[in-house]
Amino acid sequence: MRYPLALLIILMLSSATLGGWKEDFEKAFLTRPWTGVQAPGDVCIECHASDMMKPEIRDIPQKWKTSWHYQNGISCHNCHGGDPKDAANAMSPQRGYAGTPKYTQVPEFCGKCHVGILKNFLESGHGRALKSSGKGPNCVTCHESHNIQKASINIINERLCAKCHSYERVKIMKQALFVTENKMNEIDKGLKELKAEGVFTEEEEKNLFNTQAEFRILFHTEDVSLVRKRTDEFGHKLNQINVKIQKTFEELRFRRNFSGFLMMIFVGMAIGFLLLSRRPKE
Amino acid sequence: MRIKNWLEIRIGLDDLIRTQLTEYRVPRNLNITYTFGFVALIAFLIQTATGVLLLFYYIPHSETAFRSVQDLTSKVPYGWLFRQIHVVTSSLMIVMVLLHALSVFFLGGYKKPRELTWISGTFMLLITVTFCLSGYLLPWSQLSYWATTIATTMPTAFPYVGDMLAKLMKGSEQVSGLTLNRFFALHVMLLPFILAIILSLHLFLVRRIGISSPPFGKSAEAEKPWTGYRHESYPNGYPFFPDFVLKETIMTMVFCAAIFFCITFLPTLFLPEEANIPADPYKTPAHIKPEWYLLAPYQMLKIIPNKFLGVSLQLILLLIFISWPFLDTQEEKNILKRPRLLGLFFFSLILWLVFTLWGKYS
Repeated sequence: MRYPLALLIILMLSSATLGGWKEDFEKAFLTRPWTGVQAPGDVCIECHASDMMKPEIRDIPQKWKTSWHYQNGISCHNCHGGDPKDAANAMSPQRGYAGTPKYTQVPEFCGKCHVGILKNFLESGHGRALKSSGKGPNCVTCHESHNIQKASINIINERLCAKCHSYERVKIMKQALFVTENKMNEIDKGLKELKAEGVFTEEEEKNLFNTQAEFRILFHTEDVSLVRKRTDEFGHKLNQINVKIQKTFEELRFRRNFSGFLMMIFVGMAIGFLLLSRRPKE
Repeated sequence: MRIKNWLEIRIGLDDLIRTQLTEYRVPRNLNITYTFGFVALIAFLIQTATGVLLLFYYIPHSETAFRSVQDLTSKVPYGWLFRQIHVVTSSLMIVMVLLHALSVFFLGGYKKPRELTWISGTFMLLITVTFCLSGYLLPWSQLSYWATTIATTMPTAFPYVGDMLAKLMKGSEQVSGLTLNRFFALHVMLLPFILAIILSLHLFLVRRIGISSPPFGKSAEAEKPWTGYRHESYPNGYPFFPDFVLKETIMTMVFCAAIFFCITFLPTLFLPEEANIPADPYKTPAHIKPEWYLLAPYQMLKIIPNKFLGVSLQLILLLIFISWPFLDTQEEKNILKRPRLLGLFFFSLILWLVFTLWGKYS
């Protein structure tokens, strides 16, 4: 036992000595994701979160980290352009930096991605007011700029809408939206439950996303009669998704029962063989 | 009956059954732990059978692997069952191999003349872990992608050769489609081939030398010194068939019941939500960890500031584990009469458990 112990000590000591040799290697190793330290990636975040920024600008990265955009991998450069990998040229127009839009240009700024909504918004009362007088609401009036949350019916509320006009008309629109919005929330909840059960729900999620997007595009027209007219159509689409979800829940119940049945068969066989082994020998 | 006669003429079936099963005797004091090796073998067979079924639908390419596994689970009739059995058995197989190794250690089954049996067994344990590690990447999910990223980063702790080793495993700088191809080839071709060879050697040694009797009962034969080769036989023991085979069958049934228990009551234990998100090299999950059987070495690496020392220490411990029969040369087989060895056994076991739990919850 003495020799192996001596060998172990020698190897450990030599390991420790050798390990100190390559500091750059250590550094590289410690920045790997599995150690929990993330490699630096976005110079926009680094710079805007630093102390040299004014407090209102310094808060932006933190607000963005709580946003729906952040959860879906939308970063600063996706909206503002520029190069997030190169600190020196991060805000260079040559690298596509677009900066902050003017108040009236916000819809076009967001509309680069939200194309359908842009069209309907510009044709709506809100959009027309914005373009004609420069005083109407733009996207950030309701959705805010950096801590944008997942769109929901709750954005339509008296506190927000009554800032500019009476809430009565808005209430009618909210009522028209309510049934469809409720169904969408129920489906979303069902999908979350399925995902937690380990089910791949990509197809249903895409269907729900498309229906939601279409519905929200429609809402931006502010045309209550149009929303009411198409509620059945959306209801039908959502019902189709819901049927699939319910079938998947049924399938999960069947799987559980079936594997439980197989488990009982093996338990029974184990007991059977145990009794057989206890049988008195001749 | 005609088939039996046909075989009797050609391979001497009656003699084979008599010498290898009914007249082959095992010690009377063999306990349930002696069946662990057989159950591990059954686990390998289950993995082979379900693995072949999964291969009918799996497409080993980074663009299609995830989708093919999801389609297999949701669209192929009973595909979910075969996948779940494969996934659950992979972990339970490691449990069985570990239990087998622990029981052999505890019962002194590694001692002369069974050193080669022990070494082949430890190699099989390593191959089992490599099997699970390589198979883990194949579904190409976020869970498998990032767990493999951790595992393939570990060798970089070695100076000079570390990066080369990691690149050899991955085929590129990051875990990529090339890594998937390499792991797939390992998982379905190279590892089964190596395992078949070592398993054959292991089984040959077990039958050639004879089953080691537990040190807790009386066995006059075992007390004879090993000055030359001899087959350890137990003329007064139980027949291998049906007595011991029945014990093995009971344990196999319990093992299968455990598999279906996990599938029924803990379906997301090995397939959590992240296992259903396609791999995204640009999106590092908040909490990435390797599979449970690698948590202890992972945690050890995390707490030792010098990574090279950490990996070296693990390799040294592994070498000690493999070559233990040559390090423990005392003739006393009964661990209960050797308090220091008993202490070392429980200390190592508890340390491993502590590191595993620490790795899980840290």
